[in-house]
Amino acid sequence: MAEGIPTGAAGRAAQAIAKAAAYALMSLFALMTVYPILWLVMNSFKTTREFQVNQLGWPAAPTLANYAEAWSYGEFGKLFPNSLLYTFGATAGIVLLSALAGFAFAKLGSRATRPIYGSFVIGILLTVNTLMIPLFIEVNLLGIYNTRLAVLVVYVGQGLPMGVYLMTEYIRGIPTALVESARIDGAGFGRIFRSVILPMVLPVATTIAILNISGIWNEFALINILVSKTELKSLPLGIYKFSGSLSSDYGKQFAALTIGMAPMLLFYLAFHKQITQGVSAGAVKG
Amino acid sequence: MKQKKILFALLAAALISSLALGGCAKKAKVVTLKVMNYQQADQAGYKEDVKIWEDFQKANPDIKLDMEVLFNDPYHEKLQAYAAAGTLPDVFYVWPGSRSAVIHEKKLAKDLGVILGTEYLKDFSAAATNPANQLGMYMAMLPQAYTYTSVMYVNKKLLADNGFEVPKTYAELKAMVPKLKAKGIAAVMLPNKDGWPMQSCLFSTVAGRVAGDAFLRDVKAGKAKFTDKPFVDSLAVIESLYKDGIIAREDNQVGYGEAAGIFASGKAAIYVDGDWRAAAYITDKSSGKALIDPKAQESDFVLAPFVSIPGEQNPGVVSAVAGCGWSINGALKAGSPEEQAAVRLVKYLYSPEVQAIRFATGQYVPTRKGVKADVEPLVAKVPAFYAENDKTCYVVDGVFDPAVYNVLNSGLIAIGLGTKKPAAVAAEIQKAFDAWKAAAK
Repeated sequence: MAEGIPTGAAGRAAQAIAKAAAYALMSLFALMTVYPILWLVMNSFKTTREFQVNQLGWPAAPTLANYAEAWSYGEFGKLFPNSLLYTFGATAGIVLLSALAGFAFAKLGSRATRPIYGSFVIGILLTVNTLMIPLFIEVNLLGIYNTRLAVLVVYVGQGLPMGVYLMTEYIRGIPTALVESARIDGAGFGRIFRSVILPMVLPVATTIAILNISGIWNEFALINILVSKTELKSLPLGIYKFSGSLSSDYGKQFAALTIGMAPMLLFYLAFHKQITQGVSAGAVKG
Repeated sequence: MKQKKILFALLAAALISSLALGGCAKKAKVVTLKVMNYQQADQAGYKEDVKIWEDFQKANPDIKLDMEVLFNDPYHEKLQAYAAAGTLPDVFYVWPGSRSAVIHEKKLAKDLGVILGTEYLKDFSAAATNPANQLGMYMAMLPQAYTYTSVMYVNKKLLADNGFEVPKTYAELKAMVPKLKAKGIAAVMLPNKDGWPMQSCLFSTVAGRVAGDAFLRDVKAGKAKFTDKPFVDSLAVIESLYKDGIIAREDNQVGYGEAAGIFASGKAAIYVDGDWRAAAYITDKSSGKALIDPKAQESDFVLAPFVSIPGEQNPGVVSAVAGCGWSINGALKAGSPEEQAAVRLVKYLYSPEVQAIRFATGQYVPTRKGVKADVEPLVAKVPAFYAENDKTCYVVDGVFDPAVYNVLNSGLIAIGLGTKKPAAVAAEIQKAFDAWKAAAK
């Protein structure tokens, strides 16, 4: 036994102290993460007047009026379905196209593979701000400004660089012998993709989906310039109607923020197991 | 009989064709106007604003409004995108200064001085119709308000309860500190966690009085420097306010949104903010509650200019800036139905009826003369404040680029916290100004 490591009762006591300290530290971090959310939800039930004089306490007379007014002023009834469509539609597109491209880049190499793959990956380095005005001009020229198609196409395009990169690197880890034996058995590339590759890339597909679902749900800058009609906008644009440096009605603002945040929290609560597994599995090359 | 039939057929044909033509003519008359509205859903007057637009639409069936509603930075980003693509809306909301620089500098809006005409504009204050108050030196927009960014909201009753009157000089203000401090009351409250309030709501007035607008113009033209005595002396006044305990150093950790409630709860005798803050105290229509009861607004509170400062060159001036307003797309063809519809909409938005609603909901005091509204006492005191303080000076962030005034904002926080001296802050601002000027060449 190594010298210096306490044994017996003293050792158990030291372990218990270390465990307690670790728990205390983790509880502190958990509190730092959860408290702002609780504070936001708590204050969303106060009137602005009450909030201005009581920012930390529980609401004296909780009101749901903030939620009703935020829903109506923010026109969330119109924005909610759009958010769902953009988030899940674009994510499905990103995952599918990334998988197809990743398969091609990793297993069907040609002389064009390197430059095409490079052109995808370089997209990771481009910031949204540099693309905003060129994209706006482009969708105008294409005649798709103010359409859901424009939003979906741009979101898919924005998510592809990272998706293609992750997918390609993951598929590279899949033994090429599997593809070759399927070819020998007479399977075409489409069949190989469906029956061999697709089932094997589920972990990284989950990772890509998680990254994109939260990103697109909260995306603001691009959709702001891609559409002008309320019926085409998404939740973040509605929520932003409530935020200003001279803001006067915090109750509605907090209610709007809670409405925007709730679906993602529910999503996490419902799928936290898969999300944790997906992130860790996707982080390791196949 | 045959003649009758022919006559009937002709009449029927005439009727059908006139109906058809009438219908066509009617359809042809509907003009679609693309409008970009700047609207915050949690702001006082939101419901009223929605109704203002609905009323216009109802009263003008020959105009169809295609509205886009945005707020804050997204509004400006979208306007920039429209300007870059050459697809500006027909009517849009614009700032008189650098926030809407692209509109002014590229002259993307029509000259309202020409299009609305002097006869129409004579009903507005001279400051609002002066093209020199806009960045492009022409009337790209018509300011709806002329905003005073520096007002002392004074709790007169609290002062009287402690044996003080509304202070007029720095010495009077300083004399209040010990007694009020002993009771846990701040003499002057100025929340500055957000950086801009000190610069916009107090320093600009101090600089206007100590250094003057001419000095700031000279700095901009390269004929003077921020490191010159008048500007350093202005910063030194701010340093004194903290050193003398008139403003607590802790105010640099108070968020802008928190201060109105703190002042209303009687924890400060004086609160320095812009005139727009009066709206925070009026009765909330949904809850029927007010931060300050209307009766108390009338009897216990007054609005006053900041106290006189030792050594000031321009006594009594208060920082003020032209407010936002509406512009018409410069690309609209002169005399076209679109231009006529845009003018009709703009005239409606500046009408006494609409401006009275804006005034009544505490959004601003209109530049249109003679607008009357039933407002709560504190808001009613704002036009009186304007009348008593007609000498104005620049707001620093309306004169210089963000690259320059952001350094000033940070410097004022550092002075407030006691970590930097005025001369050092002045040197930093001059450095930022030199860098901005070099980059702009």
